[in-house]
Amino acid sequence: MPGRDPILPNAGIIARREYRDRTRSPLFLASTVVLAGLAMLAALAPIGIRSIDRQTVTHLAVVSSDPDLASRAAGFADSVLNVPPAGVTDPDYKRPYAVEIATDPDAADGRLAAGQLSGILHVERLPSGQIDVALRTFESPNSARSQVLSVAAFGIGVVDWSSRLPPSDARARFITPIYRVDTINTAIEGNKPIDAQQAASRGFLGIVFVVLLFMTIVIYGMWVATGVASEKSSRVMELMISAASPRQMLAGKVVGIGAAGLTQYLAIAVPALVLLAFQDRIAEAILGADWARGTQLVGLTPALLAGYGVFFLLGFTLFALIYAAMGSFVSRPDDLQTLSLPLSLVAMVGYLTAIVALGGGGGVWVAIASFVPPFSPFVMLARIMVSAVQPWEVLVSVALLVAAIGSVAVVATRMYAAGVLLYGQRPGLRAFVAAARRV
Amino acid sequence: MSLEIDHVTKRFGTTVALDGLTFEVGRGEVFGFLGANGAGKTTTMRICLGIVVADGGAIRWDGRPVGVLPRRTWGYLPEERGLYPRMNVLDQLVYFGSLYGMEPDRARHEALAWLARFRIPDYAARRAEELSKGNQQKVQFIAAVLHDPEVLLMDEPFTGLDPVNLILLREAFAELRDRGRTVIFSTHQMETAEAMCESVAIVDHGRLVAGGRIRDLKRASGRRTLRVSIVGDPSPAWLASLPDIGSARPDASGFELELLPSADPAVILTAVIARGASVSRFEIVEPSLEALFIEHVGRPAGDDPTLAPEAITQALSPGPVG
Repeated sequence: MPGRDPILPNAGIIARREYRDRTRSPLFLASTVVLAGLAMLAALAPIGIRSIDRQTVTHLAVVSSDPDLASRAAGFADSVLNVPPAGVTDPDYKRPYAVEIATDPDAADGRLAAGQLSGILHVERLPSGQIDVALRTFESPNSARSQVLSVAAFGIGVVDWSSRLPPSDARARFITPIYRVDTINTAIEGNKPIDAQQAASRGFLGIVFVVLLFMTIVIYGMWVATGVASEKSSRVMELMISAASPRQMLAGKVVGIGAAGLTQYLAIAVPALVLLAFQDRIAEAILGADWARGTQLVGLTPALLAGYGVFFLLGFTLFALIYAAMGSFVSRPDDLQTLSLPLSLVAMVGYLTAIVALGGGGGVWVAIASFVPPFSPFVMLARIMVSAVQPWEVLVSVALLVAAIGSVAVVATRMYAAGVLLYGQRPGLRAFVAAARRV
Repeated sequence: MSLEIDHVTKRFGTTVALDGLTFEVGRGEVFGFLGANGAGKTTTMRICLGIVVADGGAIRWDGRPVGVLPRRTWGYLPEERGLYPRMNVLDQLVYFGSLYGMEPDRARHEALAWLARFRIPDYAARRAEELSKGNQQKVQFIAAVLHDPEVLLMDEPFTGLDPVNLILLREAFAELRDRGRTVIFSTHQMETAEAMCESVAIVDHGRLVAGGRIRDLKRASGRRTLRVSIVGDPSPAWLASLPDIGSARPDASGFELELLPSADPAVILTAVIARGASVSRFEIVEPSLEALFIEHVGRPAGDDPTLAPEAITQALSPGPVG
């Protein structure tokens, strides 16, 4: 009797019960506390990374076809970059940069790609005598290091020019060096590339977000499936099915459990946002004023939290509909493990692809996966975190996800209705298809 | 107005659950739906509710197909008891009442009244899992009747109840009937059905084998027993020679005579008196519902045909050799 029942108010009544049932459970409270703790750690990640960065040595290589020029450039860059901060007189001051000369450009590129080098300074003297300095790095041109190196480039030009003064080469005129930054694959924020620290933060946050997304979608999805299977095994389903239609029950379950998930999401996000709001003060207290600069909002931003929220809601809805249909097919929650495995594997494929995307790999197939439901919630979120994604790409991905939810909702409702109509039986494929057609 | 089950058929794979089942239940009746396990009772109820879709035939209430009726028309007590284990009793009842369109306040008020009536008012705030099976059953009954449905479908409502609760439930049935509600219940307890119902339907293998008013069914069976006691003659064997007597056997205080369909008790009594006998007992006994059931189905209602002795014997016997 599916046609006679409007979706409301029964779906709302069912959603309310599901919501209360979930949010009052000890498991919900415990997982919320754990996940909120993780999110707060993520919010503090930029400070942590800056703190770690303060204690690490950044390796740069100088490449030039002129060995003398390479030597002069390396020496000058080393002295400029390793000037101690104001007030530091410690003789054991640890030099933050190590500058070396690389004779093999290809090998240097390989080390850059492997993360052994933070950047390569390509220094050449043009026929006009002008020095051309190109910094090849993962950092943006606006990063602090890039800015400092622009000063170094000028100095390299001056040193080189002075080395060619009489008697070596009289009459040479000083020409301001060229300096440019060749940024390699960094994320963008407001149409501007983000710097290396931001990228590092984003990489870390990306992993946290993707893991959170995967966990919440699979856990909440299993809640939906288990809820349906439990109602069948406890036989309360027979009371339910005489009081509400399958459509009302499916919608109520997905909305109620989704709302519980959203509540948990807010409980996780709000403390993290509070930490963000005070991030500069926390950084200053921990790192001191000089090192604290640049930590604000480099990692967890409201826009990224909103992105996570959107992809969580859409991803959860898509998976929850399928989980609910699956739950209707078993008579006991124990049987769900086997049946839900393929769906968990699908989510796992999305998760792993997202991890690949966070590492900057995958190329075209990662880009494709970021548009294809059900992988897109994971992969597009990962891409947003660590690479340059155009707004239209996000919009297309969301639109495709919404369209997929619409289609899956129709099929899942039929499956669910068929599953509960086949109550008490062991449904074969033929019986299921026949039942689904009658719904 | 009535509930019409009209040539309803249903198959599950190769198993025929309902085979053109047809009967009618009048409004305001307490109706017994009798049959052995697997006869098709639960399937019929589920089809009424739309839980299972019939392959053929129709079910109508008040002349309208059940598929167009609002859900609140029905109240359903399934055979397998089930409630939300961790939800408290009152919340649970208000929840189900709300699903049937009741205002929460009214549902709460009605639920408390029913709990008091069933002598479990203190259980309102308890979780369902903390209740005994019998009390859970009462709560589930309340969930089925709270919204005051026109038709109540009850699958084995008396199973597992102690005598006191059995009486409470019977009284509730009688009250619902007096308010014009139609109560249809299945049971294996023939004495209960006989005590509570005016009409019954006896089904076997998905078909109606007997149906109608119990009194009419008994009359139609043609089976009547006459119990006679004669003062000063503990074993009046001559009674067997009276007209229209099928068989005779002594009982504790006289003779029990099986009457042929053509027998007229008044003629027999006249014949006995004419013999000069002093009659201390002359009692016409109709066959019990249990006897009628066995007559039509071939076994008692509680017997599971899948566990019939022949089946067990066959299952245990070795297969053909060679």
